[in-house]
Amino acid sequence: MSAVAKAQTFWRSAMEGIRHQPFVHAVSTITLAIALFTLGLARSAAHELDRLVGSLGGEVRVTVYLDPRVPPAARTAVADGLRRRGMAVEEVSPHAALERLVRELGPAAESLRGLSEDPLPPSLEVRVPESMRAPASLRALAAELRGIAAVTGVDYGEQAVERLSAIARAVRWAGWVAFVVLVGATLIIVSATLQLAIYARREEVEIQKLVGATDRFVQAPFLLEGALQGIAGAALAIAGLIAFRQTVSPQLSTLLSFLRLPGAGADASPWMEALELALAGAGLGLAGSYLAVHRFLRA
Amino acid sequence: MIQMFHVTKAYPGDPPALVDVNLSVEKGEFVFLTGPSGAGKTTLLRLVFCAEPATRGQILVGGRNVARIRQGSIPFLRRNMGVVFQDFKLLPHRTVLDNVALSLDVLGVPRAEARQRANRMLKLVGLQHKTESLPLKLSGGEQQRVVIARALVNEPALLLADEPTGNLDPELSQEIMSLLQDANVRGTTVVVATHDLPMVERSGKRVVRLDRGRIVSDAGGPTVVRRVG
Repeated sequence: MSAVAKAQTFWRSAMEGIRHQPFVHAVSTITLAIALFTLGLARSAAHELDRLVGSLGGEVRVTVYLDPRVPPAARTAVADGLRRRGMAVEEVSPHAALERLVRELGPAAESLRGLSEDPLPPSLEVRVPESMRAPASLRALAAELRGIAAVTGVDYGEQAVERLSAIARAVRWAGWVAFVVLVGATLIIVSATLQLAIYARREEVEIQKLVGATDRFVQAPFLLEGALQGIAGAALAIAGLIAFRQTVSPQLSTLLSFLRLPGAGADASPWMEALELALAGAGLGLAGSYLAVHRFLRA
Repeated sequence: MIQMFHVTKAYPGDPPALVDVNLSVEKGEFVFLTGPSGAGKTTLLRLVFCAEPATRGQILVGGRNVARIRQGSIPFLRRNMGVVFQDFKLLPHRTVLDNVALSLDVLGVPRAEARQRANRMLKLVGLQHKTESLPLKLSGGEQQRVVIARALVNEPALLLADEPTGNLDPELSQEIMSLLQDANVRGTTVVVATHDLPMVERSGKRVVRLDRGRIVSDAGGPTVVRRVG
């Protein structure tokens, strides 16, 4: 018994199968290519969405309102405490806060001119590090700050942060559902197509079994064909993604310049992405052909 | 080599194909199964090589009870049998040599050795000059010789042939029978299902006659075991 001899037999048989039924194998390969192209595109889109959510999260500022009656040293102590924890803190005096409000109100700010003294409290504007931008972390930070005697209030746009986080969660779930549906549909199409190929070779399978072939011996060339189709499909999908990124993506980026679109600045290594797609293709091809040949042998 | 005890095979909606068959074939024996169409010859062979299970009864092949054999063990049992059919069952896209080597490929015999042994077997059946031909380019007699070469290349203990001369003229039929007898002389137990009575009578071998699924006579040949079921 020789594993190498068997592997050579499987390889020859798989090549022969592909050579004799090019149309069926082309259909499977193109189906896999379309699925992998869609997966590649969706993956890039998800990656960019994550970046978008991350960049919006960067805009979240925590405003800490301080009691104007406490001495400046106590306010500075609060700011220094936050800085020591890696946060960027800007101290805003009541005068500076009023000037900013006047600027923002524009002509409507005339009504503020008559005020004799600064009506706004001193505050700290805090930019939290990325690791603390999750809604739960922000909530905990706000609660901690509210516990300090010099602090009269904390505002971090709680509702906006929660909503953004919920949207990101929903998008991720939708992505997973779409992924499962796409993979399921691909498996069904690929296994149905491969079943045609197996059916066309039913006589060969019958003869192999007559001379003592095990189910594994019969399955192996079909599995190899499925894996090869998956890799070929992945190659087509990679070519399609490269073409998409070089032609369509820049135009979309120009049209929707306020968003970062798939491929506009992907960080993932193209080689790693190609490897992942090839592995996904081989896996899908293997699974599709396994389903087809298993169903055929059990029939 | 083969023992059948009260074997019945029935298909739903049809009269039973075999009824309470008892049969024993010794190692090294040459046995003809004869009878009219529908007598149960093919069914009997199919039960022996585990193409389907018996409805009732026990079948021992090489000491193994095939009625109780696991599905996964059937291929290993078949590797010790050669099977020859009237309709040849050759792979049309593979050469004669590859068709014969298939029995060895299944066993994992290295390609070079498999081709060498297949070549030797093709020489034995007189087809050494046709090794690279495709089966459909051969005559019926030549195709049947390829099938016999494939069945014998892994030196099985048992050879089952179902109407091996069914489509052949008398001269070619005699050639095929000679090949089967040669295999028998080399030690292979041979069971041939045929309705070619003149050939059977000329052979002087043991003849088991079936009719409507029952063994109606069992005569001739040098071996001793006789059972009429």
